[in-house]
Amino acid sequence: MILALALVISVLFGCGAFLLLKRDLIRMAGGIILISNAANLFIVSAGLSRGREPIYPLPAGERISDPVVQALVLTAIVIGFGTVAVLLGMIYRTYTARLAKAVDEGDETGRTPMSMPPEDRVAD
Amino acid sequence: MLLLLPLAITWFGAVALAPFDGRRRAVGVVAVGVMVAAFVALVRLGITVWTSGPVEMVAGDWPAGIGIRLRADGLGIAFALISLGVLLAALAYEVLGGVHERSLPSLVLFMSTGLTGVFLTADIFNFYVFFEIAMTASFVLATYGKQVGHLRAALTFMVVNLLGSVVFLAGVASLYHVTGTLDMDGVAERVNGAPTASVLLIAVLIFVAFGLKLGLFPFHSWVPLVYRDTWPAVAAMLSAALANIGSYGLLRFGAGLMPRELSLTASGLIVIGSLGILYGAIQAVSPRTAGEVIAWSSIGQVGYILVALGIGGPVGLTAAVLYSIINSLNKLVLFLAVGLRGWLVGTAFALAAFSVAGVPPSAGFFGKVAIFRAGADADRVPLLVLVVVGGALSLIYLFRIYQRDYWARNHAAPPSPLGARVLVLVLACGIVFIGLWPEPLLALSANAAAALTGGGS
Repeated sequence: MILALALVISVLFGCGAFLLLKRDLIRMAGGIILISNAANLFIVSAGLSRGREPIYPLPAGERISDPVVQALVLTAIVIGFGTVAVLLGMIYRTYTARLAKAVDEGDETGRTPMSMPPEDRVAD
Repeated sequence: MLLLLPLAITWFGAVALAPFDGRRRAVGVVAVGVMVAAFVALVRLGITVWTSGPVEMVAGDWPAGIGIRLRADGLGIAFALISLGVLLAALAYEVLGGVHERSLPSLVLFMSTGLTGVFLTADIFNFYVFFEIAMTASFVLATYGKQVGHLRAALTFMVVNLLGSVVFLAGVASLYHVTGTLDMDGVAERVNGAPTASVLLIAVLIFVAFGLKLGLFPFHSWVPLVYRDTWPAVAAMLSAALANIGSYGLLRFGAGLMPRELSLTASGLIVIGSLGILYGAIQAVSPRTAGEVIAWSSIGQVGYILVALGIGGPVGLTAAVLYSIINSLNKLVLFLAVGLRGWLVGTAFALAAFSVAGVPPSAGFFGKVAIFRAGADADRVPLLVLVVVGGALSLIYLFRIYQRDYWARNHAAPPSPLGARVLVLVLACGIVFIGLWPEPLLALSANAAAALTGGGS
């Protein structure tokens, strides 16, 4: 079970890191989603133990699975969900701002508005 | 109750102000008032901590060991005070200059809640939760201005820091796996029973996470990109308040929770810190925009904190705390000054620049002296040379900005609001005042370092 989880986590993280290095903003967001889910799985596997559900009254003499990691991963999922929502909002904002800029200035950079904005140095 | 007050004031203030348009002056003034109230509550808590030892409470009246603990000790209070103070100054600056976006005041309040929580919690997972509150607020704050440049800076900042958060979360989960507890005292107690190799791996994970936040030398690549393009007041908040999470985290997790691993890797930390000091200072000489120069400078400055942490012991840890506080003040004034024009601001910039270089009548002098003393105590002569060379280089690069921005004055630029200019000058005079009367700050840092090593409060 540990081996399977370790494999899944590494594949998720690897794919996430690969997507994160793309210029395309949507792929970048996808990478973040995969990586944060790899972290969630990692938390679950950190407290992985076979046992009964931890609900009172506890059965005597049986192993109880660790309830703390479930609470932790639930919190982490909620936080991850929130941050991804903010990230997508920011990407949309970048998209509209770049579109507006391209219309204003006749921007011919050849990139789609969904990619990372080009480096334009701040004039001094 | 005393412990919850600073958290509750900022959080309820943030929620209450969220529906209102922050561009209205009244909303901004109310937000500043809320921050002042939270700061006063924090000072009140600080006085209790300094006179009668750490204040502690367990959330929800659970028995100790089960419930989540909040705990204020000297170290947490020192960092909470400086961070809240920086946010208060930056918010007042933006309100005086005119707020451009409706969400700014409540976002700054949310960020203060997160930061205060990070410094006052005694539970490593709760640390992560407060840390994410502060980070999420800062992601949105980084877009302030909404130009393409600001958005690009915000995206870079967000992606890099989300990666850092994931690494930190993995570190927290591994610590739980190894020790079976999330309570900081419990972790510190049980971590010594765990095999050194696995704890060392966790320590490296956590070091990488905080190094990313702080913009330490090998993890610094996002810093100049982000600080060049963000709004000056926001850059001040990110680099002078939010980055404190990094230095506090290194101190708390390194010296507080895993001292064995810290002493094992001490020489490595000193080498990384020294490389950072040199690399940051040399890079800072070449770029042209002020934001970029200060960003590179801050990469060098945090090197000193890492070096002091590596030296360790009461002297080294005191130096690390003192240097973090003074570094925050310097960066606050430098970034705020960059956004304005006029001779008042020029004076403020020059005062902060002298403080970065460590010229005597400023606070920075005592920061440099503390590092120097720690280096001398540890018999590390190259380090002493490094402190002097780093200081000299910082004078060169900061006065290059001064020369370009304040001597070759651009008369076409509209004058900045007087209130904001006076505020920056007052802050800069505060740095000099601390330099003239450093005893309170020195005592505060010594108290904070004592909290880490177990003595004092």
